[in-house]
Amino acid sequence: MKAPHPPPQSTLLLWIVVTSIALLLSPFAGQAKDHVDLQFWDMIWGPPEYIDTGKALVAQFNQEHPNITVNYRSVPWTNWYQTFVTAIGSGTAPDLSTGAGYQAIQLYDQDAILPLDDLISEWKSNGKLDDFLPGTIDILKYKDHYVALPWAIDIRVWYYRKDLLEQAHVQPPTTWQELKAAAQTLTDAKANRYGFVACGDTLGSQWLFTLILNNGGGLFTKDQKADLSSARNVEALQFLADLVRNHDVNPASAGYHDDDEVSAFTQGNGAIILHAPGLSRRLPKISDKMGVLKPLVGPHGDQGTIYWVNNVMLYKQGKHPTEAKEFLEWWSEHEKDLWTKGHVTQLPVRKSFAADPYIAGNAETSFIIENYVPVAKTTATHATEIFPKLNDVEGEGVMQTLTQNLLQGKDVEASVKEASARLKSILED
Amino acid sequence: MPLEVNPRLQTEATALSRTRKSSFQPLPYLLLLPSLALIFIIEFYPFINGVSFSIHKGNLLSTGGFVGLGNYWRLFQSPGFYNALWFSFVFAFFNVSISYLIGLALALFLNLDFPGRGFCRVALLIPWIVPAVVSIVSWKWLIADRGGLVNIILSSLGLGPIYFLSQSGWAMVAVIVIKIWRSFPFMMLSLLAALQVIDRTLYEAGRIDGANNWQLFWNITLPHLKNISIVQAILMVIWSINDFETPFLLTQGGPSNATENLILLSYRYTFGRNDVGLGSAVAILTLIVLMVLSTTMMRQQAKSF
Repeated sequence: MKAPHPPPQSTLLLWIVVTSIALLLSPFAGQAKDHVDLQFWDMIWGPPEYIDTGKALVAQFNQEHPNITVNYRSVPWTNWYQTFVTAIGSGTAPDLSTGAGYQAIQLYDQDAILPLDDLISEWKSNGKLDDFLPGTIDILKYKDHYVALPWAIDIRVWYYRKDLLEQAHVQPPTTWQELKAAAQTLTDAKANRYGFVACGDTLGSQWLFTLILNNGGGLFTKDQKADLSSARNVEALQFLADLVRNHDVNPASAGYHDDDEVSAFTQGNGAIILHAPGLSRRLPKISDKMGVLKPLVGPHGDQGTIYWVNNVMLYKQGKHPTEAKEFLEWWSEHEKDLWTKGHVTQLPVRKSFAADPYIAGNAETSFIIENYVPVAKTTATHATEIFPKLNDVEGEGVMQTLTQNLLQGKDVEASVKEASARLKSILED
Repeated sequence: MPLEVNPRLQTEATALSRTRKSSFQPLPYLLLLPSLALIFIIEFYPFINGVSFSIHKGNLLSTGGFVGLGNYWRLFQSPGFYNALWFSFVFAFFNVSISYLIGLALALFLNLDFPGRGFCRVALLIPWIVPAVVSIVSWKWLIADRGGLVNIILSSLGLGPIYFLSQSGWAMVAVIVIKIWRSFPFMMLSLLAALQVIDRTLYEAGRIDGANNWQLFWNITLPHLKNISIVQAILMVIWSINDFETPFLLTQGGPSNATENLILLSYRYTFGRNDVGLGSAVAILTLIVLMVLSTTMMRQQAKSF
């Protein structure tokens, strides 16, 4: 039997052309062409239900917007910076993401971030910006551009053990002087009870920032130069050093991590700690024995604590900036569930969310929003705006080392001198 | 008197050389190419890249401008570098010497005939077998200031608590002791293997000559262990200076950078400070330090032959 002849090349070419035209003209192809896929990377900001809530919100958006599919990816904090720079370096950055407080400005300087000036301008004109807490929008302005949209506030507040203070007949302190006196009264080293328990990790370094800002100090000058050795800063550091020298701080603090600090606080080995909001929810067994101190008044009458305005940013590599902004706008207006269902412990930047019974009904959260947020400052203080090197300063660990030095009782002057040199070296790079 | 060369032999040699040249076979070299390429990709490319990073400014996202030896100069001016260098040497010195002594003692013990020897050999390997994360976290629990077994015992003796991870000096001790605990089984195993191949007749001859146990150990056992000991020392120095997990998991280099070695410093500069140039400069200097140490020890070994 004779084998059939293979089709001539011209026939094959004709088939390919006809099939391609048919596919392009089909309704399916039309839909595929108009459909937009977005990648949204969200850091893990809360307990497991936070991720579920984020996914549910994205599913809701996808349902309401059939032409856009947002893919939600939960990103762990471990090696977060490497995750993002690797993605940008390899051309696979997401369309938008949440991230660390200064991530947007750092990546903006590397030409990876799409400014949101048009969106902010539009919201300013239609009054939508009025829903944001004062300062939270402008804090993300860098080199005259809005580089990200705020969504939450991370802040540090003083928690205390009501039961331990009552036992020692100590009133919750309101000034540094009262704090020092309370710590002395609360300390009983033989019973392993101390006025304070701190830690030597990142949270520990936030002790220093908080005391410095509380005393009207700041790590930088207006023109972003290192100013660690200013009189107000040294006075604040000396305050901590004196507490350590008086044995009012748990002596294991320098080697503690966040979890160890919280564990010691739970067991009554420290009566006062600095922590992020939501600690009482994390410690249900002692939540009724816990309180939040009023923002302390420093020796010169200043108040202050450290905070970060966490944000959502758009990436230049994204191919669909219009749709990404559409999702960003929707997300910003609908993300209240992250608190009510996702139980995120950070504070909302929207006044309307803060007014929700879930948040307003929580006395602790309301107290923090009313009392701490208005006096909170960033690590950039006294620089006129936040700047990329802040991430390097936090990552390099200079303030952690300084904290560990002071918690070990080392000399303040020598420690500040060493830390100042390191700080200058980071800023000069 | 000038050396005379047989003209016939010279002609033959020239002919052989021509034959070799003409019969050059490229295939074997071509077959070697994939392996050479693999070695280049795995070994040399990262090294060359590392050297290149160390002479440039830059961060994790982009390499910056050429700075020559600027990063090295900055490093030599940094007290953090000398602190890490010093701790790396202290860490390596104590780890190599003490784990060697413990390993040698245990190898000598396990080389004896006694009931339960097999069990002991396996049990003493556990620190080597257990994954680093598990063993280091377990140690953290053991030496914790609250509820840690070590501090419970010390407190019952009126000696504690000791804040092992909260005071610079004690943290150094803790990191070194735990590293020794993780290292001695390797020393023990290698030395035991070396002990088992020593000819027994040497000991019998020594005894006939009236040598005591110490003399047998000094004159027969130790010389036979010399070569393996040098190899072990080289490997252990490299592993100690390159050890990331022990200080990182235990103290993260703290408190006050007391337990920060060169590798942790390189990590901190690269990923914490976002300064890839400075981090790479630390890594290259670490490599040079290790090469100098290894070469010195290998020369020492060669001299002993």
